[in-house]
Amino acid sequence: MKAGLSTIQQTLTPEAAAVLTQSIGEAARRSHGQATPLHVAAMLLAAPGGLLRQACARSHNLESPSSHPLRCRALELCFSVALDRLPASAAAAEPSISNALMAALKRAQANQRRGCPQHQPPLLAVKVDLEQLVMSILDDPSVSRVMREASFSSTAVKAAIEQSLPSSSSSSSAAIAAAVSRNVYLNPRLHYPHGGGGGGGSSGADRPREDEVKRVQDILSRPTKRNPILVGDCDLDATLQQVLQRIRSLDAPSPLRNAQILPFAKEIASISAADHSLLPTKIRELGSSIESSISSGDRAVILDLGDLKWLAESPSGAGKPSLSETSRATVQEMARLWKHFQGNSRMWLVGAASSATYLRCQVYYPTLENDLDLQPVPIAPRFGGNNIHGNNAESLAASKALVGIGASGVLQRQPPPITDLSSRRTTLCPACTGSYARELSILMAKGLEKDSAKPEDSRGLPQWLRIASSSPLQSEEEGLIRKGRSEELRSKWSESCSRLHHEYRRSSPTLSNPSCVLNPHRPPQLNLTLSQTGDAIAAKQPTNHPDSSVKADLVLGSPGVSTSSVAKTHQERLKDSIGCTQDMFAGHRSAKVAGISDIDMFKRLFSGLTEKVSWQQEAASAVASVVMQCKSGNGKRRGRATKGDIWLLLAGPDKIGKKKMATALSELMFGTGPMVVNFGHSPSTFGDVEESNLSLRGRTLMDRIAEEARRNPFSMIVLENIDQADMLAQGKIKKAIERGHLIDSYGREVSLGSIVFVLTSDWLPEGLKSSYSSLIEYEKTVLDSARGGFELELTIGNKTGKRHPTSICYDDRPIKLRKDSSVSTSLSLDLNLSVGEHEFDKGRLTVSHSTSSLASDLTQLVDGVVMFKPVHFAQLQRDVVESVSMKFATTVGEGIAIRIDDEALDKITGGLWLSGATLDDWAERVLVPSLNQLRDNLKHEPGPRLIRLSATKRDQTRSNAKEWLPTTVAIAIDRDHDS
Amino acid sequence: MGIVEAAHNVRVIGREGERGTIVLAHGFGTDQSVWKHLVPHLVEDYRVVLFDNMGAGTTNPDYFDFDRYATLEGYALDLLAILEELRIGPCILVGHSVSAVIGAIASISRPDLFTKIVMLSASPRYLNEADYFGGFEQEDLDQLFDAMRSNFKAWVSGFAPLAVGGDMDSVAVQEFSRTLFNIRPDIALSVAQTIFQSDLRSILGYVSVPCHILQSSKDLAVPVVVSEYLHQNLGGESIVEVMSSEGHLPQLSSPDIVIPVLLRHIRYDIAV
Repeated sequence: MKAGLSTIQQTLTPEAAAVLTQSIGEAARRSHGQATPLHVAAMLLAAPGGLLRQACARSHNLESPSSHPLRCRALELCFSVALDRLPASAAAAEPSISNALMAALKRAQANQRRGCPQHQPPLLAVKVDLEQLVMSILDDPSVSRVMREASFSSTAVKAAIEQSLPSSSSSSSAAIAAAVSRNVYLNPRLHYPHGGGGGGGSSGADRPREDEVKRVQDILSRPTKRNPILVGDCDLDATLQQVLQRIRSLDAPSPLRNAQILPFAKEIASISAADHSLLPTKIRELGSSIESSISSGDRAVILDLGDLKWLAESPSGAGKPSLSETSRATVQEMARLWKHFQGNSRMWLVGAASSATYLRCQVYYPTLENDLDLQPVPIAPRFGGNNIHGNNAESLAASKALVGIGASGVLQRQPPPITDLSSRRTTLCPACTGSYARELSILMAKGLEKDSAKPEDSRGLPQWLRIASSSPLQSEEEGLIRKGRSEELRSKWSESCSRLHHEYRRSSPTLSNPSCVLNPHRPPQLNLTLSQTGDAIAAKQPTNHPDSSVKADLVLGSPGVSTSSVAKTHQERLKDSIGCTQDMFAGHRSAKVAGISDIDMFKRLFSGLTEKVSWQQEAASAVASVVMQCKSGNGKRRGRATKGDIWLLLAGPDKIGKKKMATALSELMFGTGPMVVNFGHSPSTFGDVEESNLSLRGRTLMDRIAEEARRNPFSMIVLENIDQADMLAQGKIKKAIERGHLIDSYGREVSLGSIVFVLTSDWLPEGLKSSYSSLIEYEKTVLDSARGGFELELTIGNKTGKRHPTSICYDDRPIKLRKDSSVSTSLSLDLNLSVGEHEFDKGRLTVSHSTSSLASDLTQLVDGVVMFKPVHFAQLQRDVVESVSMKFATTVGEGIAIRIDDEALDKITGGLWLSGATLDDWAERVLVPSLNQLRDNLKHEPGPRLIRLSATKRDQTRSNAKEWLPTTVAIAIDRDHDS
Repeated sequence: MGIVEAAHNVRVIGREGERGTIVLAHGFGTDQSVWKHLVPHLVEDYRVVLFDNMGAGTTNPDYFDFDRYATLEGYALDLLAILEELRIGPCILVGHSVSAVIGAIASISRPDLFTKIVMLSASPRYLNEADYFGGFEQEDLDQLFDAMRSNFKAWVSGFAPLAVGGDMDSVAVQEFSRTLFNIRPDIALSVAQTIFQSDLRSILGYVSVPCHILQSSKDLAVPVVVSEYLHQNLGGESIVEVMSSEGHLPQLSSPDIVIPVLLRHIRYDIAV
């Protein structure tokens, strides 16, 4: 429903309405389409002696006396800038009220209603006054953001306003409720986890609750809000009795002294549940008896309401509405009674309620608090000793160590000196010590912040728990809490240190940094995916990344259960990282260890990938598991937040494998192929489409990525040959990985959404370089030769060609390849190539592959590094040789031998590899027709012959990107031979 | 880790973005995993808080105080306890089934903590009355409770497909059966009694927080008219959207229909 402006104005007091009108005017002046809380805040601030301005100044003075008067001016400017940033609308129409502003008005209204003394029909007739409007504007996130920019805290400002309110419904002074319990809503069972309810107060009954009794007394002697209701889940009766006893005794202040206490609760109890309809009448009788007792003498009356559950509990009988008309009537009658005696300050109400009961009273009788002038007093559960953490496992360790840090650390708020730390029994390694110190300082800083922001805290408490006096006990309690927290922190670190870096204690320097270069540096794996298996307690990976382990602890069900498995997997990981072997990338490990929840999805990915890239099974498994981990929120975190973008580095040889892997992954995840940006100098393996990149390297490449990211946040972008990117692009990419957004050359931020980035690089860890180099070289040769553009030629004759033929026979070549695939292949290749224009020197190749520091940097940043194994072309070559010979044999016939030049073999192999065509197809389509022709030619020239299949360079570059393989095989008649 | 977080398996994920915090509250017979299809769409823009209601199979049965949880207020207190503990300011609450109503109760006590409540398959009252159609007769419920008492496992395998509205072997039914069966039978019975006997109609008028009421077109537990009733009786703004999905747990059984609707209602406020 669209509420007109006038309707809204009616809900505001004239001052508030004026501010709103001004704000709308301001919005119109700036030709904004909507009036937002920002407009209102700016207007409020503009008024020189205005409420908000004063409160801002006050809040700032409270925090730091040195604050400059120009501070408010700065705030004004910030708001003005924020308004400038709002988009202008073309329409000249009257600005409407934005949703946020509407919400703020509603909040103000709700608060106003809560504070309203009379029972009002909801929503109507309550006018929002300026204070409420200001406070709810301050609650608006956009406003508090602007205030933060000018280093104001909206909560502090709010607190300042609250203080200034004359006898506001919430609190009459700045101090806050001394809720010893941190959380009044807490389930009491959580205090007594094994006590089975335990609310009876057995632990605390022997000690008088002096402070609470004192607080109740204070409330009783106030002019308003003077009827205390003890709210809590234990000790209620005892405390209430103590209060009443104190009143009976002589040390109570004068009006209370020897007040008559009427046990109303007992009256109620005497009425059976069925007769609740009698209650209103009873109350009326009670009223007249109080009347007479007050007027007759000078004795005051305290009406003991007992446990309020008689108000809140539904009458038995499930079918009925939960609260009968009669209880409503009762409440009304009570209210009337109170109104009657309120004025003469000789009557009080006292009572008690469990948190649940009180909540129910609030919910069912929203005006009860105001009608009866009730002031809830939180009664916190108590514990035997200093152990404020209940009995969770950590507290044992914590309390033991209290002597250590605690003695000096309680109120010191400084991280204890590190030397002190390291001398202690549990030695932390330097890395963990640093992290611990850092977290501790944050913790302490937070404590300080909390101290300085005490008035804010009172806002955090429910309104009904804010009372006038603060107890000195609180700070002590807080100190204890803080001490405990710092202890928790310390034990957490020593635990994780011993888990992660136990080798540090053995002082084995080689192992002290377990994250080897290759290690993808995994964050803790909380099994906190919405897991199908549903076990809430599962830390399947060690918390390896120190910074985030706070989060980890927070999430896991109960620590300790999984420690052994954690330790075990960590051992495995250590082994891996020491060895730096390829195994660590192998998939079989990852799926199990990484706690991948959605095993079906994993299987689907894995099988989809292996289908396409069958020769890189381990890589496929690793890719699938990294992706699944990230998808299930277990990926690397960015700060505290999880992220949607995934960064995957495919490293090592096998360009085609990487390409196919990326394409298959993109198709499996997004249903389409990836967008490819090639940073390299060599043509993209993804085809010619992207080659225009070459001319646009650097800035514009990043723009293309940004554009794609903006266009479709659910897609894959392949950054090919990332290690060849220029410095600028490298920096931008690293930043993007770290921050989760890209900045294009116009300075615009582009969020990375759920994009999967696949980076490819030829980078290899040092250890693998030497053993792989020959294979890699060969891969390069094969691909280069296939790219070179060539034709095949069949020549007849014994004579060797111009191109330095290799005189190996077709049937021993494959054996040789297979046998020496790792090392000596390159030798024969070198021989082969030495005639060509390229002098491929082993050393030179190695150099060009080696120091790409970017890739090794990236291994630290990305979510996962997947190493590809070099391709063994031997099998493919053998297939080629066999297939060609077979075709030859069947077509041309026995008696004539065929020899395949190495170069031709390389080219066919490379062509097949690049194009992905099957050998048989190609042989049938291209080779066989030529062989048929050759057979026809040979018919006229009988006699044993040797046919050579050789490659000739083609002049023009390939015309068609798809045709990596020659489409025809020419037949050359060897004139020399003929003549 | 605080005891509250531990007891409720609280998880906070996603970025602390400008869009604020979303609290996802699951309903009866499930746990936070019921939001698995929704969460990935939120973590980009919101801080997402997940937790398990006390009594869910994933929580410690020792913490289940049969008195505290004899009424829905106990759960409302728990919700407030979590919000307090995490110091979560105004948040968007997405409540499924009973948790939507629990959120409404909590919002009456602390309207400052909620910017809006997205109610999925919510009902203030399950029993029929002369002037109200909740979908159940008392006999139906008595039978249901008897069945739960006599053979919990059998009841689960019968109830799950009914509630989800699918075949016994559909993934969603399997999933719901699993979480349902994880609950200790006596706790499940108590929770079910509390929920099915609850009547929150009288307090709807006190709810001032905007409510987005989302509902399957066919739901065994919540007839469509109930949504209309909520809309008519809630004190604050409200909006109803009936989705083409079926069943009481549409976010689990028809995520493709429900998730976009949920996201829309999370992202946009009711136009006023």
